[in-house]
Amino acid sequence: MKMLVVFEKMGAHRFLGHLDLQRAMQRALRRSGLPVTYSQGFNPHLQLSFAAPLSVGIQGEREIMEVPLSRQISEADFLSKLNKTLPQNMKAKAAVLLEDKLAPAMARMGAATYVLRPDAHFEQLAAAVPGFLLQERIPFMKRGKAGMREEDLRPLIYNLMVKDDTLVTVLATSSKGTARADQLFLSLCAFAGIQQPRCLITRTALLDERFAPLEGA
Amino acid sequence: MDKQMRSRLEALLETVQKPSRYTGGEVNEIKKDWAGRTSFCFAFPDTYEVAMSHLGLKVLYESINAQDDLLCERVMMPWVDMMAGLMEQGIPLYSLESRKALSDFDMVGFTLQYEMSYTNILKMMELGGIALNNKDRDEGAPFVVAGGPCAFNPEPLSPFIDAFLLGDGENATNEMLRVIAAGRKAGKKRADILRDLAQVEGVYLPDLYEAAYHEDGRLAAFRPLDQTAPLPITKRIERNLDEAPFPTSIPVPYTQAVHDRIVLEIMRGCTRGCRFCQAGMLYRPVRERSPEQLFALAEQLVAATGYEEMSLSSLSTGDYSQLLELIRGLNQRFADQRVSLSLPSLRIDNQLQEALGETAEVKKSGLTLAPEAGTQRLRDVINKGVTEEDLLRTVSEAFASGWSSVKLYFMIGLPYETDEDLLGIADLARKVVAAYYAVPKGQRARGLKVVVSASTFVPKPMTPFQWAAQDTLEEIRRKQSLLRSALNIKGVTFNWHDPETSFLEACFARGDRRLARVLYRAYELGCLLDGWNEHFKFDAWMQAFADTGMDPAFYANRERAREELMPWDLADIGVSKNYLWRENERARKAEVTPDCRHGCEGCGLTRFEGVCT
Repeated sequence: MKMLVVFEKMGAHRFLGHLDLQRAMQRALRRSGLPVTYSQGFNPHLQLSFAAPLSVGIQGEREIMEVPLSRQISEADFLSKLNKTLPQNMKAKAAVLLEDKLAPAMARMGAATYVLRPDAHFEQLAAAVPGFLLQERIPFMKRGKAGMREEDLRPLIYNLMVKDDTLVTVLATSSKGTARADQLFLSLCAFAGIQQPRCLITRTALLDERFAPLEGA
Repeated sequence: MDKQMRSRLEALLETVQKPSRYTGGEVNEIKKDWAGRTSFCFAFPDTYEVAMSHLGLKVLYESINAQDDLLCERVMMPWVDMMAGLMEQGIPLYSLESRKALSDFDMVGFTLQYEMSYTNILKMMELGGIALNNKDRDEGAPFVVAGGPCAFNPEPLSPFIDAFLLGDGENATNEMLRVIAAGRKAGKKRADILRDLAQVEGVYLPDLYEAAYHEDGRLAAFRPLDQTAPLPITKRIERNLDEAPFPTSIPVPYTQAVHDRIVLEIMRGCTRGCRFCQAGMLYRPVRERSPEQLFALAEQLVAATGYEEMSLSSLSTGDYSQLLELIRGLNQRFADQRVSLSLPSLRIDNQLQEALGETAEVKKSGLTLAPEAGTQRLRDVINKGVTEEDLLRTVSEAFASGWSSVKLYFMIGLPYETDEDLLGIADLARKVVAAYYAVPKGQRARGLKVVVSASTFVPKPMTPFQWAAQDTLEEIRRKQSLLRSALNIKGVTFNWHDPETSFLEACFARGDRRLARVLYRAYELGCLLDGWNEHFKFDAWMQAFADTGMDPAFYANRERAREELMPWDLADIGVSKNYLWRENERARKAEVTPDCRHGCEGCGLTRFEGVCT
């Protein structure tokens, strides 16, 4: 069995890079004494996989990782033990026992929901949304293995709407294509003709290909 | 920090590299309420990743915070992007824990680990809102103190620091904080509190002394201005390590520290008497922690941190009297938890093979050996009691039991060194390669890698080579190129560094208080983060010497006479000047001095009752 863990990475933890987060989680799991598995070899390390790495600077409300177990443990027990050793403000919110044969969370990813909270120019940005979405193509430059290349953002935006003083968006996040929320914001600002204000971005949910929360599997 | 400034800081953090260097909040961070407590900021004059690798920080952090009346927070040197951002946004350099400006603390303590961090100290004070010159600090300003190995020759920093601590800081730091607390409570003037500080054993207040110079620049006299000021200043010694504080729960950085692991200090001091080694002289006598205490500490640290790696720290781990028992015990306790054990700076003689066998069960890390010199004659000069036979036996055994990667450390520019000694390095490297091929093909691990590193020798104060001239830059470069061609051997990589840094280290390591002017000028010229190659500005340093009319060669490349008064003679480290001279004479004759555990060599420590047995 493996345990799927939903956790938050909020506040100052948004500054942690993916490797930093991996290390922090590994050490929290080691401190917890939970029945986890280790890789073989001279440098045994704890096996751990994340559904979707989060860019530095973006918060996550319901991030997901999976931990292979060396023996059975209840979801509630796992959750409370892990929460005792996680860094402050990095709470585990749910634990779900899964069969090993279920595809890894990373492979089941389809999309992710983000909430964007800009510091300024909100009216102009909100007004620009309909026109922005009506574009047939939204080209942007992406750094790939072979240098910069142009890509189209439009098919990767499943939804974008204004809600109170925020923008809420659902973006493709899978092996077939991934859009970054900070890229979306950059493109929207360019379309609206404004200089990019500071914007706090929060990833609020990880979804499968049918837009159901990944943890509900 | 008010709300507005906090929000400017948040915005700034979004724009800098590795923001988690500046946010704190690590597991095991300690945040105490400031009300009614005397506050100390441990200031590390290099980046977060370097600072969080430093054991001393963790020792003081936990032991000071364990005191109810005191609190300890941390601050490090910001990287260039953060430095610029702080200045632009008008945010003072702040502590990680409570985000208070350095100027808000009662005492700020810099650790002096290497000379090339000195200008960072000035920058940190400027950013933290502390007047650089100790005479310009007002009544409410923090007391700026400094300790660590370089504090044994504190003179180049004397105008900037209020008080230096010479020697072990575990208990002395608390005492200093309490002197300040008591003084402030009694409404004493800053000047009087400083005088009180000078009465703490091991504390040196530069302003209570004056120096006079001969016309040729040599120090002529050094005397106290105040009858109460001690001279010499006797270093602090923690007599029993089992009774000295040691952390059981250390902050675990998010971003990877340079040494990101649990470090157990198993022993302090060394009796080998290598003549180039300053630590070997400064940290005498040898004191061991008991295996029982180390097991208990290790268990608490593993449970508290979740670290996957542990290393043993000392000047000469191979000399720890119960090494095998210790390694066996640690392996037994932690193998199930997949905590690997690494053993740095193992000397290549005693017990090594058995020890190697033990660690190999958990992890095969590279083997690092430090013969230091290429020929037996030169190893005798520096009193490095290691023979070629020892070394080759060690590497042969390591190759036979599955190692394929060996690092060999050497120094060039040692006193009495000849080209023949340099070529001896290549000779030794060739023999190591041959030892690898001597192991049958099926038996040895693949991918032989021999790395030969040669650093430039820096004569250090309080060593038998404190009188010696450092080789000039030209001479070092010639020796490096000689070695480069000699080490063109298959399977061998040669590492060397530009000698300019070592040249400056030699100046400041043996500098007097007049060099403060050079430091200040270099700081004005933008010399910062000099430990980082990309920021090292040698030309600006030379400019700083020229602008202040000081000659670097006077400090680095001049041989001193026996009777010359040294700037660091103000400190009594226990080892006498007579002993150091005797060792210098023996070096000249390539005579070895045996390890003093086999018989006292009269270094002077027995003057202190009950310290050295």
